[in-house]
Amino acid sequence: MENELKQLIISSLDLEDLNVEDIDSQEALFNEGLGLDSIDALELGLAIRKKYDVRIDAEKDDVVKIFASVSSLAVFIESEQAKKS
Amino acid sequence: MYQDFKVQRWSVWPPQNDQKTDPLVQDELLSSIPKMLKRRLSPLARTVFCAINLCIDKNTNIPTIFSSTHGELAKSFKMMEMIEGGEEISPTAFSLSVHNSIAGLFSMAYKNKLQSTVIAPGEEGIAAAFIEATGLFDEGYSEVLIVLYDDPLVSFYPEEPYKLSTNESCVVALSLSNVGLGIPLRFSIQEQKGDDGEQPLQVPLLIQFLSENKENLIIHTPRHSWCWERR
Repeated sequence: MENELKQLIISSLDLEDLNVEDIDSQEALFNEGLGLDSIDALELGLAIRKKYDVRIDAEKDDVVKIFASVSSLAVFIESEQAKKS
Repeated sequence: MYQDFKVQRWSVWPPQNDQKTDPLVQDELLSSIPKMLKRRLSPLARTVFCAINLCIDKNTNIPTIFSSTHGELAKSFKMMEMIEGGEEISPTAFSLSVHNSIAGLFSMAYKNKLQSTVIAPGEEGIAAAFIEATGLFDEGYSEVLIVLYDDPLVSFYPEEPYKLSTNESCVVALSLSNVGLGIPLRFSIQEQKGDDGEQPLQVPLLIQFLSENKENLIIHTPRHSWCWERR
Protein backbone atom coordinates (compact mmCIF):
# COMPACT_ATOMS: atom_id res chain seq x y z
CA MET A 1 0.00 0.00 0.00
CA GLU A 2 2.73 2.51 0.90
CA ASN A 3 4.59 2.08 -2.41
CA GLU A 4 1.32 2.25 -4.30
CA LEU A 5 0.53 5.52 -2.52
CA LYS A 6 3.97 6.92 -3.32
CA GLN A 7 3.39 6.14 -6.99
CA LEU A 8 0.00 7.88 -6.79
CA ILE A 9 1.61 10.95 -5.20
CA ILE A 10 4.22 11.09 -7.97
CA SER A 11 1.76 10.69 -10.82
CA SER A 12 -1.10 12.83 -9.52
CA LEU A 13 1.09 15.72 -8.34
CA ASP A 14 3.42 15.99 -11.37
CA LEU A 15 6.48 14.85 -9.44
CA GLU A 16 7.81 12.68 -12.28
CA ASP A 17 11.43 13.47 -11.46
CA LEU A 18 11.03 11.59 -8.16
CA ASN A 19 11.12 7.81 -7.69
CA VAL A 20 9.21 5.74 -5.15
CA GLU A 21 12.52 5.23 -3.28
CA ASP A 22 12.95 9.01 -2.91
CA ILE A 23 9.90 9.28 -0.66
CA ASP A 24 10.32 8.16 2.95
CA SER A 25 7.10 6.68 4.36
CA GLN A 26 7.60 8.50 7.67
CA GLU A 27 8.68 11.83 6.18
CA ALA A 28 6.34 14.86 6.38
CA LEU A 29 4.44 15.29 3.11
CA PHE A 30 3.78 18.99 3.55
CA ASN A 31 5.98 22.03 4.13
CA GLU A 32 9.48 21.07 5.25
CA GLY A 33 9.31 17.39 4.20
CA LEU A 34 8.39 16.59 0.61
CA GLY A 35 7.28 20.23 0.26
CA LEU A 36 3.69 19.73 -0.88
CA ASP A 37 1.14 22.54 -0.46
CA SER A 38 -2.60 22.97 0.07
CA ILE A 39 -3.45 22.52 -3.63
CA ASP A 40 -1.55 19.23 -3.55
CA ALA A 41 -3.68 18.14 -0.57
CA LEU A 42 -6.86 18.73 -2.57
CA GLU A 43 -5.40 16.97 -5.62
CA LEU A 44 -4.21 14.01 -3.57
CA GLY A 45 -7.60 13.79 -1.84
CA LEU A 46 -9.26 13.54 -5.28
CA ALA A 47 -6.75 10.91 -6.48
CA ILE A 48 -7.34 8.81 -3.34
CA ARG A 49 -11.11 9.05 -3.78
CA LYS A 50 -10.83 7.91 -7.40
CA LYS A 51 -8.41 5.06 -6.73
CA TYR A 52 -9.56 3.71 -3.36
CA ASP A 53 -13.11 5.07 -3.13
CA VAL A 54 -12.14 6.56 0.22
CA ARG A 55 -13.30 10.07 1.00
CA ILE A 56 -11.30 12.30 3.34
CA ASP A 57 -13.79 14.68 4.94
CA ALA A 58 -12.24 17.94 6.14
CA GLU A 59 -15.21 18.49 8.51
CA LYS A 60 -15.07 15.08 10.15
CA ASP A 61 -11.56 13.66 9.81
CA ASP A 62 -8.31 14.87 11.33
CA VAL A 63 -6.86 15.98 8.00
CA VAL A 64 -3.54 17.15 9.44
CA LYS A 65 -2.92 13.75 11.02
CA ILE A 66 -4.05 11.75 7.96
CA PHE A 67 -1.92 13.76 5.53
CA ALA A 68 1.12 13.81 7.85
CA SER A 69 3.02 11.10 5.97
CA VAL A 70 2.64 8.25 3.47
CA SER A 71 2.48 5.88 6.43
CA SER A 72 -0.41 7.73 8.14
CA LEU A 73 -2.30 8.01 4.84
CA ALA A 74 -1.93 4.26 4.27
CA VAL A 75 -3.24 3.49 7.80
CA PHE A 76 -6.27 5.73 7.23
CA ILE A 77 -7.12 4.26 3.80
CA GLU A 78 -6.76 0.69 5.04
CA SER A 79 -8.97 1.36 8.08
CA GLU A 80 -11.66 3.00 5.90
CA GLN A 81 -11.55 0.07 3.48
CA ALA A 82 -11.83 -2.39 6.41
CA LYS A 83 -14.98 -0.56 7.61
CA LYS A 84 -16.58 -1.09 4.19
CA SER A 85 -15.80 -4.77 3.81
CA MET B 1 -3.39 63.04 -22.91
CA TYR B 2 0.05 61.52 -23.25
CA GLN B 3 2.63 59.69 -21.19
CA ASP B 4 6.37 59.77 -21.78
CA PHE B 5 8.54 56.85 -20.71
CA LYS B 6 11.52 54.80 -21.77
CA VAL B 7 11.70 51.16 -22.78
CA GLN B 8 14.74 50.00 -20.82
CA ARG B 9 14.68 46.45 -22.14
CA TRP B 10 12.24 44.36 -24.06
CA SER B 11 12.11 40.72 -25.09
CA VAL B 12 10.05 38.28 -27.14
CA TRP B 13 9.55 34.57 -26.65
CA PRO B 14 9.62 32.42 -28.68
CA PRO B 15 12.23 34.19 -30.86
CA GLN B 16 10.73 35.78 -33.95
CA ASN B 17 12.56 33.97 -36.69
CA ASP B 18 11.93 30.90 -38.77
CA GLN B 19 14.14 28.63 -36.71
CA LYS B 20 12.43 26.26 -34.31
CA THR B 21 12.97 27.11 -30.66
CA ASP B 22 15.60 24.88 -29.15
CA PRO B 23 13.99 23.18 -26.11
CA LEU B 24 17.38 23.21 -24.39
CA VAL B 25 17.49 27.02 -24.57
CA GLN B 26 14.03 27.17 -23.00
CA ASP B 27 15.09 24.73 -20.25
CA GLU B 28 18.12 26.89 -19.52
CA LEU B 29 15.94 30.02 -19.24
CA LEU B 30 13.74 28.20 -16.71
CA SER B 31 16.59 26.57 -14.80
CA SER B 32 16.48 28.87 -11.78
CA ILE B 33 12.81 28.19 -11.03
CA PRO B 34 12.38 25.78 -8.09
CA LYS B 35 11.17 22.32 -9.19
CA MET B 36 8.08 22.38 -7.00
CA LEU B 37 6.97 25.57 -8.80
CA LYS B 38 8.12 24.49 -12.24
CA ARG B 39 5.78 21.48 -12.26
CA ARG B 40 2.88 23.98 -12.15
CA LEU B 41 3.96 25.88 -15.28
CA SER B 42 1.77 25.33 -18.33
CA PRO B 43 3.37 25.67 -21.77
CA LEU B 44 2.02 29.25 -21.86
CA ALA B 45 3.43 30.02 -18.41
CA ARG B 46 6.82 28.65 -19.53
CA THR B 47 6.75 30.97 -22.54
CA VAL B 48 5.89 33.90 -20.26
CA PHE B 49 8.71 33.04 -17.85
CA CYS B 50 11.26 32.83 -20.70
CA ALA B 51 10.32 36.30 -21.97
CA ILE B 52 10.47 37.75 -18.43
CA ASN B 53 13.82 36.09 -17.79
CA LEU B 54 15.25 37.81 -20.88
CA CYS B 55 13.83 41.19 -19.83
CA ILE B 56 14.60 41.59 -16.12
CA ASP B 57 17.29 40.35 -13.77
CA LYS B 58 16.46 37.61 -11.31
CA ASN B 59 15.11 38.94 -8.01
CA THR B 60 14.22 42.33 -9.47
CA ASN B 61 11.41 43.81 -7.42
CA ILE B 62 9.15 45.58 -9.89
CA PRO B 63 5.41 46.34 -10.16
CA THR B 64 4.10 44.20 -12.97
CA ILE B 65 1.21 44.39 -15.40
CA PHE B 66 0.19 41.20 -17.16
CA SER B 67 -2.14 41.52 -20.12
CA SER B 68 -3.74 38.61 -21.92
CA THR B 69 -6.87 38.42 -24.03
CA HIS B 70 -7.48 34.72 -23.50
CA GLY B 71 -5.28 33.74 -20.53
CA GLU B 72 -5.40 29.99 -19.87
CA LEU B 73 -8.67 29.58 -21.75
CA ALA B 74 -7.63 26.19 -23.20
CA LYS B 75 -7.38 24.89 -19.64
CA SER B 76 -10.81 26.23 -18.68
CA PHE B 77 -12.27 24.81 -21.87
CA LYS B 78 -10.87 21.36 -21.13
CA MET B 79 -12.39 21.48 -17.64
CA MET B 80 -15.78 22.44 -19.04
CA GLU B 81 -15.58 19.40 -21.31
CA MET B 82 -14.75 17.25 -18.27
CA ILE B 83 -17.73 18.62 -16.34
CA GLU B 84 -19.92 17.92 -19.37
CA GLY B 85 -18.62 14.34 -19.35
CA GLY B 86 -19.46 13.97 -15.64
CA GLU B 87 -15.81 13.85 -14.55
CA GLU B 88 -14.41 15.52 -11.45
CA ILE B 89 -12.02 18.34 -12.29
CA SER B 90 -8.53 18.62 -10.91
CA PRO B 91 -8.15 21.24 -8.14
CA THR B 92 -4.67 22.02 -9.47
CA ALA B 93 -5.93 22.53 -13.02
CA PHE B 94 -8.71 24.77 -11.68
CA SER B 95 -6.37 26.88 -9.58
CA LEU B 96 -4.03 27.35 -12.56
CA SER B 97 -6.80 28.28 -14.99
CA VAL B 98 -7.71 31.62 -13.41
CA HIS B 99 -6.58 34.79 -15.16
CA ASN B 100 -4.02 35.73 -12.50
CA SER B 101 -2.44 32.28 -12.14
CA ILE B 102 0.71 33.11 -14.14
CA ALA B 103 1.09 36.39 -12.22
CA GLY B 104 0.91 34.43 -8.96
CA LEU B 105 3.53 31.92 -10.09
CA PHE B 106 5.74 34.80 -11.23
CA SER B 107 5.53 36.55 -7.85
CA MET B 108 6.53 33.31 -6.10
CA ALA B 109 9.34 32.39 -8.50
CA TYR B 110 10.83 35.90 -8.53
CA LYS B 111 9.94 36.63 -4.88
CA ASN B 112 8.41 39.81 -6.27
CA LYS B 113 6.56 41.56 -3.48
CA LEU B 114 5.40 44.61 -5.43
CA GLN B 115 1.92 44.76 -6.86
CA SER B 116 0.90 42.91 -9.97
CA THR B 117 -2.16 43.59 -12.07
CA VAL B 118 -3.67 41.22 -14.61
CA ILE B 119 -5.74 42.62 -17.44
CA ALA B 120 -8.01 40.99 -20.03
CA PRO B 121 -7.93 44.02 -22.32
CA GLY B 122 -10.70 43.44 -24.89
CA GLU B 123 -10.79 45.73 -27.92
CA GLU B 124 -8.31 48.24 -26.46
CA GLY B 125 -5.62 45.58 -26.74
CA ILE B 126 -2.07 46.34 -25.62
CA ALA B 127 -2.92 49.98 -24.78
CA ALA B 128 -4.71 48.87 -21.60
CA ALA B 129 -1.39 47.75 -20.08
CA PHE B 130 0.26 51.07 -20.96
CA ILE B 131 -2.65 52.98 -19.39
CA GLU B 132 -2.14 50.92 -16.23
CA ALA B 133 1.59 51.72 -16.38
CA THR B 134 0.72 55.44 -16.63
CA GLY B 135 -1.24 55.03 -13.39
CA LEU B 136 1.70 53.33 -11.67
CA PHE B 137 4.11 56.08 -12.77
CA ASP B 138 1.61 58.57 -11.41
CA GLU B 139 1.61 56.73 -8.09
CA GLY B 140 5.36 57.26 -7.85
CA TYR B 141 6.90 54.08 -9.28
CA SER B 142 9.81 54.75 -11.62
CA GLU B 143 9.90 51.27 -13.22
CA VAL B 144 7.12 49.01 -14.43
CA LEU B 145 7.20 45.60 -16.13
CA ILE B 146 4.57 44.89 -18.79
CA VAL B 147 4.02 41.33 -19.97
CA LEU B 148 1.74 40.76 -22.97
CA TYR B 149 0.93 37.10 -23.59
CA ASP B 150 -1.50 34.89 -25.48
CA ASP B 151 -1.95 31.40 -26.79
CA PRO B 152 -3.92 30.70 -29.97
CA LEU B 153 -7.64 30.57 -29.24
CA VAL B 154 -9.20 27.12 -28.77
CA SER B 155 -10.55 25.99 -32.15
CA PHE B 156 -14.08 25.64 -30.72
CA TYR B 157 -14.50 29.42 -30.98
CA PRO B 158 -15.24 30.95 -34.42
CA GLU B 159 -12.38 32.85 -36.08
CA GLU B 160 -14.34 35.07 -38.46
CA PRO B 161 -15.40 37.84 -38.39
CA TYR B 162 -13.58 38.41 -35.08
CA LYS B 163 -9.97 39.52 -34.80
CA LEU B 164 -9.11 37.75 -31.58
CA SER B 165 -6.25 35.37 -32.20
CA THR B 166 -3.24 34.35 -34.24
CA ASN B 167 -1.90 30.84 -34.83
CA GLU B 168 1.16 31.24 -32.60
CA SER B 169 1.77 31.71 -28.89
CA CYS B 170 3.66 34.92 -28.32
CA VAL B 171 4.93 36.81 -25.29
CA VAL B 172 6.47 40.27 -25.16
CA ALA B 173 7.94 41.66 -21.94
CA LEU B 174 8.86 45.34 -21.62
CA SER B 175 10.62 47.00 -18.75
CA LEU B 176 9.50 50.65 -18.73
CA SER B 177 10.96 53.52 -16.78
CA ASN B 178 10.25 57.24 -16.50
CA VAL B 179 13.90 57.99 -15.72
CA GLY B 180 17.25 56.74 -17.00
CA LEU B 181 18.19 55.19 -20.32
CA GLY B 182 16.12 53.40 -22.94
CA ILE B 183 14.07 53.94 -26.08
CA PRO B 184 12.17 57.20 -25.37
CA LEU B 185 8.51 56.87 -26.32
CA ARG B 186 5.40 59.02 -26.06
CA PHE B 187 2.11 57.13 -25.63
CA SER B 188 -1.04 59.03 -26.60
CA ILE B 189 -4.65 58.68 -27.68
CA GLN B 190 -5.93 59.82 -31.09
CA GLU B 191 -9.42 60.23 -32.53
CA GLN B 192 -9.14 58.12 -35.67
CA LYS B 193 -11.16 54.88 -35.47
CA GLY B 194 -10.54 51.50 -37.07
CA ASP B 195 -10.09 47.87 -36.15
CA ASP B 196 -6.63 46.35 -35.97
CA GLY B 197 -7.92 43.46 -33.88
CA GLU B 198 -7.35 42.59 -30.24
CA GLN B 199 -4.07 42.09 -28.38
CA PRO B 200 -2.88 38.89 -30.13
CA LEU B 201 -2.96 40.74 -33.48
CA GLN B 202 -1.47 43.92 -32.03
CA VAL B 203 1.57 42.30 -30.42
CA PRO B 204 3.29 41.52 -33.77
CA LEU B 205 2.84 45.21 -34.73
CA LEU B 206 4.52 46.25 -31.48
CA ILE B 207 7.43 43.85 -32.10
CA GLN B 208 7.85 45.25 -35.60
CA PHE B 209 7.77 48.83 -34.28
CA LEU B 210 10.42 48.15 -31.63
CA SER B 211 12.72 45.97 -33.73
CA GLU B 212 12.63 47.91 -36.99
CA ASN B 213 13.27 51.35 -35.56
CA LYS B 214 10.03 52.75 -36.95
CA GLU B 215 9.03 56.30 -36.06
CA ASN B 216 5.63 55.47 -34.66
CA LEU B 217 3.07 52.76 -34.09
CA ILE B 218 -0.62 53.59 -34.41
CA ILE B 219 -3.14 50.95 -33.40
CA HIS B 220 -6.78 51.54 -34.32
CA THR B 221 -9.65 50.30 -32.20
CA PRO B 222 -13.40 50.74 -32.87
CA ARG B 223 -13.47 53.76 -30.54
CA HIS B 224 -10.13 55.56 -31.10
CA SER B 225 -6.44 54.95 -31.82
CA TRP B 226 -3.39 54.57 -29.62
CA CYS B 227 -0.05 55.97 -30.67
CA TRP B 228 3.50 55.11 -29.56
CA GLU B 229 5.95 57.60 -30.97
CA ARG B 230 9.73 57.76 -30.70
CA ARG B 231 10.85 61.04 -29.17
